[in-house]
Formats: sequence, C-alpha cells, structure tokens
Amino acid sequence: MKKIKSLKKINWAAFIILMIGSLAMIFPFAWMILSSFKTVADVYTYPPKWIPSSWKLDNYAKVFDMIPFGRYYLNSIYTSLMQTLLQLALSICGAYAIVFLDFPGRRKLVTLIRSTMFVPMVVTLVPLYLIVSKLKGVDTYAGIILPQVFSAFTIFLLVSFFTSIPKDLCDSAKLDGCGCYRILWNVVLPNAKASISTAALFAFLGHWKSYTWPLIITNKDKYRTLPIGMKYLVQESSSEYQVMMAAAVMAIVPVLIVFVLFEKQLVKSITLTGMKS
Amino acid sequence: MKRFIAILLVALLCVTAIWATAVKEEVPDHGEKPELTKLKVWYSISGANGKFFEGQAAASDEAHPEIELELTYTGSYADSATKISAAKLSGDAPDVIVTAASQLYTGEDGNFAMEEDVKDPEFNFSDIQSGVLEYAKYYGRLAALPFGISTQVVYYNKDLVKAAGLDLEANPPKTWAEFMKVAKAVQKASAEGTWGFDTSDGVWLVKSMLSQNNNAVVELKDGKITPVFDNASGVEVANFWKNFIDEGVMPVGQHDNAEKKFLAGGLAFIAATSNRITRWPGSTTFEIGAIEMPGFKKQAVALGGSTITILATDYWKHDAAWALVKNVINTENQTAFAMTSGYLPIRKSSLELPEVASYIADSELYSVATKQLSYAWAFTHFAEMGSMDSFFWYALDDIEHGTKTPEESFKNAAAMVAKEIE
Repeated sequence: MKKIKSLKKINWAAFIILMIGSLAMIFPFAWMILSSFKTVADVYTYPPKWIPSSWKLDNYAKVFDMIPFGRYYLNSIYTSLMQTLLQLALSICGAYAIVFLDFPGRRKLVTLIRSTMFVPMVVTLVPLYLIVSKLKGVDTYAGIILPQVFSAFTIFLLVSFFTSIPKDLCDSAKLDGCGCYRILWNVVLPNAKASISTAALFAFLGHWKSYTWPLIITNKDKYRTLPIGMKYLVQESSSEYQVMMAAAVMAIVPVLIVFVLFEKQLVKSITLTGMKS
Repeated sequence: MKRFIAILLVALLCVTAIWATAVKEEVPDHGEKPELTKLKVWYSISGANGKFFEGQAAASDEAHPEIELELTYTGSYADSATKISAAKLSGDAPDVIVTAASQLYTGEDGNFAMEEDVKDPEFNFSDIQSGVLEYAKYYGRLAALPFGISTQVVYYNKDLVKAAGLDLEANPPKTWAEFMKVAKAVQKASAEGTWGFDTSDGVWLVKSMLSQNNNAVVELKDGKITPVFDNASGVEVANFWKNFIDEGVMPVGQHDNAEKKFLAGGLAFIAATSNRITRWPGSTTFEIGAIEMPGFKKQAVALGGSTITILATDYWKHDAAWALVKNVINTENQTAFAMTSGYLPIRKSSLELPEVASYIADSELYSVATKQLSYAWAFTHFAEMGSMDSFFWYALDDIEHGTKTPEESFKNAAAMVAKEIE
C-alpha cells in the first residue's frame, strides 16, 4: 500500500525526462565498455552492433603490447595527484588572500591573475618550455608538475565559494586572537569543504587528461603519462577503436574513484551555489 | 729574361706550396671518433606503424654497437612541430626527426647537408623515385629524404557500384567530369541518405586537382615563393569543388566524418590516404575497390606523409645519424615498412622485388596506389606551407557553405598566404 502511495507521488513527466537524460549520459560509457570487447569488423558494422560477436580480452592485452601502460598509468596517477594537491594549496592561499585580506594593489593583482585565463596555452607553450629547459626540467617529474600548478580558474572558483563565508566568523576568530593561517585552517577550510572538493575534482580531471605539456617536456617513457600513450594508439592510418576503447576503460577508473570519493561534497557544493554546469 | 722566368717560376712554386699548406691546415679536425655515439630520434609515427618503425630502428641499433638510439614518439604532426620547434629554440634539438615536412627544420637553418650525404655510394640515390624526392625538398633543395610516403586513392564501395550496374574495373572514370556522373549514378541507385563522394582531407585533394589542371599551387622565382592557386586554372578547380556540393554529391563540411561514413556504407566513393590499404580491407561488410584518381588536363596526385632528416650538426653525430637514415631507407627496410603500413615504396628497386610484385598482383588497392606513383607530384615546400593549408581549409569551407564565391575564396586564401610570406 505504501509502495502504491509513493508511486503515485512520483512526478512521472520529470521522471521520464530525467531517465532519458540519464540514458543519454550512460550511452557513451556503455558504448565504450562494449566496444572494448569488439572485433574490428564489429566496430565498423552498420547498422551499429551493440553486443560484440564474441567477448574477448584481446584488445586489453594489445594495449599492454603497444605501450608501457602500467608505467604511464602510475606516472599519470602520481603527477595528477601532486598537481592537484599543490594547485589546491596555492589556490586556497590565493583565494583566501583575495577574499579576506586587504593589501595594497589587491585589485590590480586580481586583474592580473584573471587576465591569465585569457591567454591560450599554445601561446605560452614554447616560452614555458625554454624556461623549464634552462632549469633542467626536461624529463623530470618536477618539469611536468610545477608549470601546471598555478590555475587562475581554481583560484576564482574558490573565491566564489569563500565570499559566501560570513566575514563575521573571521572577525570573531580575529578577536579571539587567531592569525591568518589559523583562521584559514580552523574557520575557512571547515566551511569550504564542499567547494574544495569541487575544485579538487576539476583540477584532477584537468591534470589526468593533460596531454600537450607532458608530451613537450618529456622524451623518455619513464616520465610519460597516459594521454601520450592513448594518443600513440590513435593510429595515423586508421584507428583501432576497439583497442582505444579498452585503454579508455582502464584509464577512466581513477577518475571514477575520485568522483565517487568526492560525489557527496560535489552535490553539496552544487546545491549550495546553484551551479548547474 | 731566362733568369727572370726562372725566378718567377720559383716564386710561383713557393706561393703554391704555401697556399697548399694553408689549405691542408684548413681541413676540419673532427676530433677522435667517440666509442659510443648517442642519438636522439624523434618520430611522429604511431600505432602498429610506430611499432614497426621502432623495430627497424632497434635492429639498426643492434647492427651498430657504436651507436645508441633514444627513440621518442612526438605525437601528431602538429604536436611534433611544436615539440621540435621548442627543442630547437632551447638548443636541445633531437639528432634525427621523422615527421611531416621535416625538411623545414633543416632548410630554415640553411642546412642542406643531405645533398652531400646522398652522394654516399652505399646509398644508391638514383634508386629513389624522382617525384617522391621532390616531397623532401625545401625551396627546391634537398633537405630531407622521403620516409612514409602516401598519396590519396579514390576508394569505392563495390557493392553500391555493382548495384548501380557499373563496372569500374573495366570502365573507370578518367576525368572528374566523368567521375561526377558515376558518383551521381551510384548515389541515385543507393539507399536514401547515401552520399556519392567525399574526402577526409579536402586540402590534399585540391592540391592534386590543381596540379591536374596545370597549376603549381605556388611558384618559386628568384628565391621567392608566390601563391598561384588563385589564377584562372586554380579558380576552375574551386568551381569544380562547388559543383560537388551543388550537384548534391558531397555533403557540406563533413570531411572529418567521411571515413566513418564510408566504412559504415553510407558513402560510395572516398578520396583518402593510401595507407588505409593495409587497414580497411576486412573491416567492412562490403568489398572495397579503388580507381586511379581522375584528372583534369593530366593525371597527378599530390604526395603526403613524412620525411626523415638529420638535425645533428656535430660531425660524428651526423655520421652516426646518416648510418641510421641509410639503414631505415634501404630497399629491404623501406619495402617492409611500405608493405606493413600501406605507405608507398620510395625506391624503384622495391617495386622489382618478387614479394612486392606478388602483393601488387594480389591487392587491387595497392596496385592502384603504386600505379599513381608514376605521376606523383609535390609542390615547392616553403616555411609558411602549414599556414597555407589552414587558409586552404577556410577557402573550402567558404565554398561549401556558400559564404564566398569559389573565386573570392581562392583569391582571399592566396592573399593571406602572400601576406604570411611577407
């Protein structure tokens, strides 16, 4: 009886629309997983075939044959995590300074930081390489990680959240004798967990798929990351989509883990800010 | 008088002797040959072809214990251009590069050492196909060597063509006008939504068409490049391109999807690179055929693919690099690479090998591609040719969308190329 009542309460129109939306989101994901088991003929069949004619793990094995997948995978995890952590540390400090501190030239500094968002990466690529090369950063983890740590986007994402924290809280903490770092650690951060999770998720995703900079700054397999390996699978003559899909399935796992870890906080931050995209 | 002549002769002898000694002293001292020479080799060949190249390079490495290779994949042609340029600027350039138009990187420095390298009697320079060789030149001078060379081939869906009652093996279209009729007939006889013709690389095809219409794309005069693709013969090609759209044979701006559409059976003809030959057969539900590219006033196909060059300027490094280049493009290795990758053999001797002759006899597609080699052509390569390709794309986009007339589109593109060169 209870079940019937709860079914009656459902807004069926909204339910159907959301179902269609969900299926549309799941479609490429399901296609990727199914294609990773297909043969070449299955991939190009028209009309498209959902289910592989035979389920084989050959494509997964081929990924490991073609590229040092394990090495690239570990490098990607290490560099993405380090970049995310350093980027968060820098951005939190930057956002805190912008929102809570008054200092001469603050507005100019904000404009300067914001302006970096309008410079395309391709413009800075060669000069950045020259600097890192002079500092002997080619083929080093530091060379991959450090130049990608600063992000105006993350700073301003956090700024938009930090401004919603009542200044009275910080003022009270000041009256209690707290310094800048204590206020940041004990007052701001506990109130900004959701926003930091969102920023962390965006940062990790950005670094996980970062391709051009790691390609430019590394020559040895020892330091190369997964996106470079994935690009190697994109055969110039004709891509073997089934192999690429197998690699993509394996590559997506850490992203899913990060998403699952931060999902609650992400939803909370979206609810708090009304940010829909 | 005799005395005077004798003194003069002695003086002349002394001067000659001093001069000869001086010249002898000018012979460069390259120092002692190092026991081990390390070479950085960067290449933009990926996937199975990349693996094959790595295997060949490794074999060369083993055959030369005095050389150690560090192989680095550098991404797509565009990625490689950024990486190589940045490395050159920082003074950390690789020693050997295999990428599209690699000759730009040596040519721009006035480095034409390749012209001397190829005189090596072990190399058999005259064996390289002359048309193909043009593809490795910079401002008309040899600055690289061809490596993974391809041309566009017109592939077709045999099932659709057969259903339209045509026999292209017996009667292939020789001109683009004939081809248009054939493509329209096949399209008409096929299911709704099937397109007659498309290409995955419009710019490449247009260059072939320009040459077929006796247009050189650019002209080199007194060391200066001038775009000529906007003259009357070029505009004729642009107008013909518009006909593809107006006749409803080719979809507007769908080139990125052309190959997928063809493989899915929704496209009757496609002009695509010859290196699909080793990949496509067997991956479709229909049989794939190929015809020689139709022409206008003559037959011509523009060359594409990668070239190999040596950036190392140090004598011993250059020497080691040449040993590698010589090895990867000897008849045996080039033939193996061509037959695995679908690239075309750059050596005449490759075509005489029994395995190649048998492959050509068995593969209709490869047979067409190798026939096209006899009229393969390359326009004069110059520094701004990458920008020219972008301007060509804008022009084709304008033609297809009807935002400019074909003449305006080509004139505009040529003006932009000229400005870029200036």
